[in-house]
Amino acid sequence: MSSLAIHHQGRALAIAEAPLTQQFLTLTLGQELYALPIEHIREIIEFGGLTEIPMMPEFLRGVINLRGAVVPVVDLSVRFGRQRTAIGRRTCIVIVEVEQEGAAQMLGIIVDAVNEVLAVDANQVETRPAFGARIRADFIAGILNQNEQFVIVLDIRQVLSVEEICELVGMASLEK
Amino acid sequence: MLIVNLDSARGALVQEGRELLAAMEEALLAIETEGYTEERVNAIFRAAHTIKGSAGLFGLESLVNFTHVAESLLDRVRTGELFVEGAMLSLLLTCGDYIGSLLSAVEIGTEAQEPDEALRAWLLTQLQEYLDGTASDTAQEVAPFDEPYARVDVLQGEPVSSDLWHLSWRLSPEVLRNGMDPLSFLRYLGKLGRIVYLHTITDRLPALGDFEAEACYLGFELEFESNASRQEIESVFEFVLEDCLLRILPPHSQIEEYLRLIRELPESPQRLGEILLQSGALTPNELDQVLTRQHAEPQPAPPLGTLLLESQLVPQPVVAAALSKQKQVEDKRNHEQVFIKVEVGKLDQLINLVGELVIAGAATNLHALRRDMDMVEEAAQAMSVLVESIRDASLSLRMVAIGEVFQRFPRVVRDISKELGKDIQLLVTGADTELDKSMVERLADPLMHIVRNAMDHGIETAEERLASGKVASGSLRLNAYHESGSIVIEVSDDGRGLDRQRILDKALQRGLVQPDQSLSDAEVYRLIFEPGFSTAEQVTNLSGRGVGMDVVRRNIELLRGEVEVLSEFGRGATVRIRLPLTLAIIDGFQVMVGDEHFVLPLEQVIECVDLPPQEGRHHLINLRGEPLPFLRLRELFNIGGRASGRESLVVLQHGNSRAGVVVDQLVGEFQAVIKPLGMLFQKSRGLSGSTILGDGRVALILDVANLLQRASALSVGTPVRVSAGGA
Repeated sequence: MSSLAIHHQGRALAIAEAPLTQQFLTLTLGQELYALPIEHIREIIEFGGLTEIPMMPEFLRGVINLRGAVVPVVDLSVRFGRQRTAIGRRTCIVIVEVEQEGAAQMLGIIVDAVNEVLAVDANQVETRPAFGARIRADFIAGILNQNEQFVIVLDIRQVLSVEEICELVGMASLEK
Repeated sequence: MLIVNLDSARGALVQEGRELLAAMEEALLAIETEGYTEERVNAIFRAAHTIKGSAGLFGLESLVNFTHVAESLLDRVRTGELFVEGAMLSLLLTCGDYIGSLLSAVEIGTEAQEPDEALRAWLLTQLQEYLDGTASDTAQEVAPFDEPYARVDVLQGEPVSSDLWHLSWRLSPEVLRNGMDPLSFLRYLGKLGRIVYLHTITDRLPALGDFEAEACYLGFELEFESNASRQEIESVFEFVLEDCLLRILPPHSQIEEYLRLIRELPESPQRLGEILLQSGALTPNELDQVLTRQHAEPQPAPPLGTLLLESQLVPQPVVAAALSKQKQVEDKRNHEQVFIKVEVGKLDQLINLVGELVIAGAATNLHALRRDMDMVEEAAQAMSVLVESIRDASLSLRMVAIGEVFQRFPRVVRDISKELGKDIQLLVTGADTELDKSMVERLADPLMHIVRNAMDHGIETAEERLASGKVASGSLRLNAYHESGSIVIEVSDDGRGLDRQRILDKALQRGLVQPDQSLSDAEVYRLIFEPGFSTAEQVTNLSGRGVGMDVVRRNIELLRGEVEVLSEFGRGATVRIRLPLTLAIIDGFQVMVGDEHFVLPLEQVIECVDLPPQEGRHHLINLRGEPLPFLRLRELFNIGGRASGRESLVVLQHGNSRAGVVVDQLVGEFQAVIKPLGMLFQKSRGLSGSTILGDGRVALILDVANLLQRASALSVGTPVRVSAGGA
């Protein structure tokens, strides 16, 4: 009896604790607003220069030294098929952690600015539109409507798919 | 705390056991090849005896009992009652393997399970036959082993913790038609005790269209609390006994019983496991045992339909989560128990150096406080010298002799040559050459592959050998030595060698090369490392070599090494593996192109020369009369701008090939701590890692082998102006 009761209790607790709101970090890229689920984000650092790596796909801007670890940095703008991000006063590198095959990989993404952290009810995130967005559909996890402005929630696992980037890196270094 | 200590002691037991087994194997093989000596037999006996003793301390009965029998036999050999001969040696070698598998079980904590029951039984009978040949009084001692299952039961027979009856009840479709109501039985059961948990199995319910109102599709899993006897409970179901499948497990049943239950019931083990877990009949741990044991047993393959059904019906239940969690804990524990043996001398040296460093540090502080810049500079220099020595000393702690890998090959060669019916001698040289511990482990598999290949395809049969004028027995040589910052490992045989023409034909056929391409021997031999090339059975039989050589190459490349084949047709072949000595720190040579810093491994830098301005329009340069291919890093890496001053040429060597790399500026030597570039750059070519410079910037370490390839590829097609006008 005892074990049965505990099982049920545990389940009820789990439901009660389920988060009703989700937190997102909004960031500016070009003229547009994007949002990232906060649980992927490790830290945000000021842009302080990076080491470029030759023979890489263009969106892979280079690597930085993050307290002794070498972290690759991705230019999201190029990844979305646009211009290189120009380095400005508010340019930041957002360090995110993506999981791939059980191992965590740290990656930096260059953004024009980071804005704020939004707490949003889970049901406020709308599913992605079938068309109309200017970036690859599988990069979009959903759409947030914030003050009459649409914010695209990025699917970080797709945008920074380690597998895909690996392939592109391999191809770029063979081309030469 | 006690448990932790015990765990690490178990780790030590496993390690010690493995070492003893290795010694035992070595002695056995020595007896076989060089003959019987008392010393060797004693060594074997001691090994078996020590393993038995340590296993006894931990109460590992399975290990103790088995080793005991082997030991009895050895004892008789030692006292001269029995004589060692070929078959007995083979038997003892297999016993060694079996003890090894028992040790592995101890290592991963599954010693309660028998790793290979059939083998154990067979070995015991064989050993017993030898023992019976001289005396029969040991028969009693050994008798219990005739029933390994029974023994296992005693060992594994931990009762489950649940103090409830477990009932599994599956009704046949006819029950309702026969006028029985399942519910009434359950009500009646309620009079004998309390039904704590009831799970209704509805898996058999058909689709609505096929549903028959008069048929019963139900089954039940019950947890029942009662003081009634088994008979009383059974009698409840007396009237339906013929129309149902009923299994009753008393409280604290053996895990075996649950295993049997799961096997007998029609539902899938996972599904049942889930129910048993939910109902509290089994704890996750107990279920894990049941399921692993269930997996270990051979079972007929279920029809595809059920498989599909199962995989859809059972969306990875709670069980999987619970189990994987436990596995993780276990893996972690195993991971922590990796040992390395270190010479005390090396450790002493390291501690001495650290002592000196502490003193030097204090001196530096003192001088710095006095603002005595000259002295500070001197002290800083002394410190960096010490840091360098400490680096070398601590890296040397990780170095182990390659003999650790080589030592398994005498046995492998013996077994394979028996299997193939070839007479093959093994020669090992350079076994004390040292290399990084982490590499030793990853080197074993590729080496094994190469050795097997050489024996299988390289070395001919005795008849063929005699016919081609060679001695009947083939020889295989393992060799290792250090050469300019890398370790070289060679596997050579005196077999038939690689057949250039056959390889070329096959490569043409597969479209790997073009008919008009002219290839050097080395390039042709490199073809056997191409994926897909090797899998062609025909090539393997005809020309020798090639099963999975691409895997070998990949493994070696993962270690930043390279592999090549040298061969003389009809005379033999050598596979040469070249590996860097360590994976952690290198002496680097820093160069600059534009604003970018790059690091080249110092060991591969031969010399640096100024590049005369008029030189280098082509991709060949005249270096003291020798043509040298070269490339410009600026062009290769697409770095903008122009060199401000005079460019420099860095001459690099890797293996036998040389080439130059043109850079803007030479910065100098420094110690580079290698930072791997990570998963993202796995497939990139031309970079072998990165390092962090004194100012915190990241610099890339270039892959010299790749640069050389690119340089020589560029130089092909350049007019050979230099060689004509040279000297």
